[in-house]
Amino acid sequence: MTAYVILKLLWTGILGFLLSALGLMVGMDMGVGTLLRFVGRTDPERRTMLNIIGPHWDGNQVWFVLGGGAIFAAFPSLYGTSFSIFYVVMILLLFSMILRPVAFEYRSKVENKHWRAGWDVAFLISGFVPMFVFGAAFGNVLQGVGYHFLWTGQYIQDESFWSYLLNPFAILCGLMSVALSVQQGGAMLMLRAEEPIYSRAKQYSSLGGLVAAILFVIGGVWMHSMKGFMLTAPVDPNMPANPLHGQHVAMVKGAWLTHFTAHPLLWLIPIIGTVCMVASSFCLRRDHVGLAWWLGAGSWIGTIGTIGAAMFPFLMPSSTAPDQSLSTWNATGSAYGLTAMLVVSSIFIPIILSYTSWCYHVMRGRVSVHDVINSHDSY
Amino acid sequence: MFARFPALLKLAGLGAALVIALLFAVFVGDQGPWYFAWVVGTVMIVLISATGAVLFEAQNSEEHDKNKETQP
Amino acid sequence: MDLINPHVVDLSRFQFAMTALYHFMFVPLTLGLTFLVAAIETVYVITGRRIYRDMAKFWGHLFAINFALGVATGLTMEFEFGTNWSMYSHFFGDMFGTPLAIEGLMAFFMESTFIGLMVFGWDRLSRPAHLAITFLVAVGSNLSALWILIANAGMNVPAGTHFDPDTMRMQFQSFVELVFSEDAQAKFVHTSVAGYVCAAMLIMGISAFYLLRGRHRELALRSFRIATLFGLISSVAVITLGDVLGRMDYAKQPTKIAAIEGLWHTSNPPYAPWAAFALPDDAKQENHFEIGIPFVLTPLITHSFTQPITGMHELEDQAAPRIRSGIVAINALKHYGDTHSSADLATFRAHEDDMGFGFLAMRHSPNQDTSAITEADLERVVHQTQPDILPNVFATFWAFRIMVALGGFFFIFFAFSTFFSLRNQLESNRWLLHIAVWAIPLPVMATEFGWITAEAGRQPWTVFNRLPTFLSSSSHTVGYMTFSLIGFILLYSALIVAEFYLMFRYARRGPQDHTSHDTTLSGLHNAQGGHF
Repeated sequence: MTAYVILKLLWTGILGFLLSALGLMVGMDMGVGTLLRFVGRTDPERRTMLNIIGPHWDGNQVWFVLGGGAIFAAFPSLYGTSFSIFYVVMILLLFSMILRPVAFEYRSKVENKHWRAGWDVAFLISGFVPMFVFGAAFGNVLQGVGYHFLWTGQYIQDESFWSYLLNPFAILCGLMSVALSVQQGGAMLMLRAEEPIYSRAKQYSSLGGLVAAILFVIGGVWMHSMKGFMLTAPVDPNMPANPLHGQHVAMVKGAWLTHFTAHPLLWLIPIIGTVCMVASSFCLRRDHVGLAWWLGAGSWIGTIGTIGAAMFPFLMPSSTAPDQSLSTWNATGSAYGLTAMLVVSSIFIPIILSYTSWCYHVMRGRVSVHDVINSHDSY
Repeated sequence: MFARFPALLKLAGLGAALVIALLFAVFVGDQGPWYFAWVVGTVMIVLISATGAVLFEAQNSEEHDKNKETQP
Repeated sequence: MDLINPHVVDLSRFQFAMTALYHFMFVPLTLGLTFLVAAIETVYVITGRRIYRDMAKFWGHLFAINFALGVATGLTMEFEFGTNWSMYSHFFGDMFGTPLAIEGLMAFFMESTFIGLMVFGWDRLSRPAHLAITFLVAVGSNLSALWILIANAGMNVPAGTHFDPDTMRMQFQSFVELVFSEDAQAKFVHTSVAGYVCAAMLIMGISAFYLLRGRHRELALRSFRIATLFGLISSVAVITLGDVLGRMDYAKQPTKIAAIEGLWHTSNPPYAPWAAFALPDDAKQENHFEIGIPFVLTPLITHSFTQPITGMHELEDQAAPRIRSGIVAINALKHYGDTHSSADLATFRAHEDDMGFGFLAMRHSPNQDTSAITEADLERVVHQTQPDILPNVFATFWAFRIMVALGGFFFIFFAFSTFFSLRNQLESNRWLLHIAVWAIPLPVMATEFGWITAEAGRQPWTVFNRLPTFLSSSSHTVGYMTFSLIGFILLYSALIVAEFYLMFRYARRGPQDHTSHDTTLSGLHNAQGGHF
């Protein structure tokens, strides 16, 4: 195994970690946004909910930006191709994400019923749409996406965007992702809020976990009858990062399960995921909220881990030109680029974590509804 | 002995910061003259404009004194 | 089939320019406001006078409103390279993605974490500690400008990267060369300091508004004094760095400098006049009307009296052999992709430097395929490609002139303001205050025209002399682009209305209505304490 192969594997692992962290941390905020109008019935209640995640959203949004930047730097071809192929959906995602920071900053600055109601809808959209798109993207990627490359490296799209939106499996994945975010957002509200928000959040979040578990199992069964992708000839993992040459791939029914049959230990990943989802709902019902939050983290890791275990080494397989499927071996940056990014992140991530926790330390204390209503500058 | 420890630590921290700043200045001054100019220039801009405010206070109190003298 | 649709490229360019210019309305202000607030707070820490604390809070809040929209529109920029410029991302992402990711790691986290402490932490931190936080926010916002301009400099003058025929992209090879390239350095300082000017003008304008109305006198006079000194020095620095950038373009981007000066024919030093006014005609490749100032152009650009500046016609002539050679390079490269033969590789290596010109010729080749050019057709393709090496001269020429005129105006205006402010004669010179109010948007306009000069002048390339713009975009349909453009226009228009409404409301109300509730507020920031 050469250094370049190790770098490729390492960055694929980091990609999986980033996607799980993104689903977890961003999903939590998004879940609160989705629940805003259902859990909060009066304006002070809604403001309390917003202020519970108020200190988070900015930092969490940066994880989202960083996710984009990291894919750009470490998987440039994947970044360019996937973002372009899912254009219409990505633009919808962008619009809803743009609404978020603005909604936080503007909503409570003006005391007008319609103004605030309008921004509440913005929160609903910007909570639901991104999570749905995030999940649906995985659903589409699992089924393969229609594209091929020209000799220059330019991709050509072979399908209409409608097939990415009106696609039962993708809708299932999208709904599962929304369910997980509702569970996580509700757990966050239960951790920080008092009655009546607490009980309402409890109902929604415990339901969210169960729905996610059911959808996850249905998705797993579905994979049996779905066409997956598999390598038909051995590849050189050290190959130059160019999707045009060096891979031979076939679309085979049930191919996504071949890794699981070959290595039965891998079944542990989906099992842990499902158990986490169910157990988390159970804990929420029994008011063990802190434990439920961590089980929620386990649900995300189990879900993304399952997809990774099924697909490796594929990142975004092509259904119309399977040989050109983007994979761990042909879609990464150069060895120099990957090394540079690795060095920079291992310097800065500890620094970020330390000053972030220092800030939390400085700002420690409890939140109260009274403060939210009486202060000028809260959200 | 132990009571002195935080003070020593602070001193060591300041010393380390100073050394890092010096090394940074030497490296950046060498590799990136404009980056260096930006660092020095920004500090200068901030300090000069702050001095402007201090001067404002001085002028203000001078005027105040004058007014006092003329209207006993 | 599989051909590039020029309309899609144009729409993608339009969308990128629109979203970038919009984003850039908020960014320069944040670059400068942070340091200005830091300067004000420094005075608070030194003198201990409470008014400076109120000032720092008031202007700091204005910064926070602005920051939200900067973050929101910045998301678009981060994603648009992928959604609309897939070929560019594939070709240049190995190098270009790195500074963007570092921007997130190094700058965004710092800004967005410490901005919370800056706004809510007044009563939780000692004075020097809070001042340090304010400086960290300022450094953080400028670091984000640093990394994005390093990336941008890489597009204009590719450094620390080389083309690799096996992966068909530019591979990253030297971090130090990239970060410390002269172009990156000068671009960063020029842009950052231009942000200082924007912020100084905003604070002066709002202060002047209060002075004209006779409100918040104490705050306005002091703010004006600090801002005018801040702006005066910054405007000198902007001009200095602008001059440095001009000389750099002269050395490395001759098409850009020729377009900026509307120079169709090589200059004859030292007499060569500098065109103060002209109407460049891109189609006819001449200036319709020109007022020139003799003996200015040569020393202005070259800092000498002897060096000529190559004109656009001459640049076109010089491009012809490069286009021919580039076509050879591209054909060899395409062939190499199929055969991986060392003969093809050797041919490509011999013509590698002209590769970009070969890509440029694709546009005029039969079916956009240079290997389909026949011997007889070659000269037609070369001839049609020649004018493509030039940017839009009219836009570049005028964007530059408006920027420079505004820059000169700022310097003069700051000089007068500083003079009257130091003599405490502001309130008796109401004309100056009136100008200050109306001048608030001008520096932002100047920075926008600066962006147009730099990026329109870079055309027809996204990676200078390497990858043409028309090859860079994603292969979308016109329908996709119409959808996203209409969406952006609606969304961004709604946001700007809300933003201005809030900014005006906040500025009109003034500092009194913003008495602090920090004690209660800081409680909010804790919702997360110790949970993760």
